[in-house]
Amino acid sequence: MIAFACPVMDTESYRRYAEPGIRLAAEPESELFALAATGGLARSYNLLLEQTAGHEELEALVLVHPHAEITDPDFCRKVREALEDPGVGVVGAIGATGVRNIAWWEGEVRAGHVRHRYTDFGGGELEAFSWTQPQPAPGEVECVDGLLLVLSPEVARSIRFDESLPLGHGVDFDFCVQVRAAGYRVAVADFHLTQHRALELLEDDSLWVEAHIRLGKKWEGRMPGVPKEDVDWKTRARRAEAERESARAFAHANLLGADARVLAAERALEEVTSTASWRATGPLRWLNKLRAERRSRAAS
Amino acid sequence: MIAFGTSITRPEVFRQAAEPGIRRAAEPDSEVITVEAPGSIFHSYNVLMERAAARDDLEALVLLHQDAEIVDADFCAKVRQALSDPDVGVVGCVGAVGVRSIAWWEGSVALASFVHRYEEHGGGDLTAFSWAWEDAPPYARTGEVDTLDGFLLALSPWVVRNVRFDESLGMLHGYDFDFCLQVREAGKKVMTADFRAIHHHSLDLVSDPETWIEAHMRIAEKWDGRMPGVGTGAGTWEERARRAEAERDAARADAYTKRLECDGRIAELERARAEAVNSISWRMTAPLRLISRARAGAR
Repeated sequence: MIAFACPVMDTESYRRYAEPGIRLAAEPESELFALAATGGLARSYNLLLEQTAGHEELEALVLVHPHAEITDPDFCRKVREALEDPGVGVVGAIGATGVRNIAWWEGEVRAGHVRHRYTDFGGGELEAFSWTQPQPAPGEVECVDGLLLVLSPEVARSIRFDESLPLGHGVDFDFCVQVRAAGYRVAVADFHLTQHRALELLEDDSLWVEAHIRLGKKWEGRMPGVPKEDVDWKTRARRAEAERESARAFAHANLLGADARVLAAERALEEVTSTASWRATGPLRWLNKLRAERRSRAAS
Repeated sequence: MIAFGTSITRPEVFRQAAEPGIRRAAEPDSEVITVEAPGSIFHSYNVLMERAAARDDLEALVLLHQDAEIVDADFCAKVRQALSDPDVGVVGCVGAVGVRSIAWWEGSVALASFVHRYEEHGGGDLTAFSWAWEDAPPYARTGEVDTLDGFLLALSPWVVRNVRFDESLGMLHGYDFDFCLQVREAGKKVMTADFRAIHHHSLDLVSDPETWIEAHMRIAEKWDGRMPGVGTGAGTWEERARRAEAERDAARADAYTKRLECDGRIAELERARAEAVNSISWRMTAPLRLISRARAGAR
């Protein structure tokens, strides 16, 4: 039996995104565990693990973030296929290799069909993490995004999320490192999934920075697959401080470039809307809009 | 005599930007010194300084990038006034205080009297905050700063004869910051003054991140313990490394966010434009626009 579990942070998101996806993917015998989120994300996930892991027939536990919508009717078959190898402990929809810290997207990204639907700027849809130019799934990775975590029964029973992390930043990275340290592998499968979230990648930089620091300390010299080496902290600090300033300059430049691109698009729109013919036909469009609204009201 | 010096690597850029500005600003007796050198700006500027230093009547040497265009006709008067205090060593129109590294813009910028003119995406101007005093924020002011943006620098004769750009530091990055630190270490002031320029520059701020990073590290190491705040930081080296690595990754995430938000905004504008040009009213009035264009063409 493949079980689905979701911590419900706000009912509306769950109803809109996670629940329809689970209904689409689930099999008749699948069990669904939706619990009110409690404490942080790690605490909620651990609670779900406690509730589900003991199930004798468990083939896999699918942890679905409330803002993730599975859009894959073939999902359960892909889960079974990915977990066929008993060495695989966690499967996700998007992940990366060469990961050294919670900014997993700085590694080499591999993904299934993951879309990013946003409501900013009138709404739209993009390929998730498009700027990383993801390699196609399936494949082995070092870390997967916590948007969707498919756990083998062994992992669900033996490994827990670290509840000490502030606001849950990096829980997915930490969990994957724990899984790998326990001797399991992490993989991405060609799942079809949509994440519903704002375009902003980090909502709270300062807490994220603290989590980055804490997890850096936690795993220093213990990361599976990374050879232990003596660290020259002074050189590392000098380089990191330089790279930080360079990254900030890059962000400034991105902002300037973005402003310029937006300005060009605004000019193109203005070329249309500033013409005499557009202005002269304004009343017609207004009447049309009014008529459409009336029709829509009448229909509802 | 106020001399102007430029290191030229792209003559067409010099002709379009620096040269008209120099013509606008220079006085009849001004000397214009150029050096055509594709190598290190540290070295080129030292060559310019050697040549200017030989002039007994030197009042100031204005070092400007080939893509910097001075816009003030009374530039020389402003330079003279700024350098009338013998303690002032170098003057510019963009400067900051609280600067701790070659990323001087991470300090508190006190004056930024320039326009950033770019050619990408159809071209445009980005006006810095103190280009027009009436629009300037309350912190905009002229006066003493820690460092200046090197695209336009006016040097006192003392500095021209006694300070040199440190050619051991690299080819380009950080030359201005290091020079300002040297001037301050020599007991002279670094100041901003009320003149303005147009910087004809691409939107790319750091074109070669790796050499920029190397310069950042080298200059931090050079000045650690010699100039307060530079190269130092709170905590142990390990703590500094961990925090900087985290902040670096947060800054990168911020850059990705900006790119996504830009894509989102552009998609919204393109949708609005597509809706407009596909509307019945736009298509209905196409002949009118055709006639209008034909008339304009005939005129």
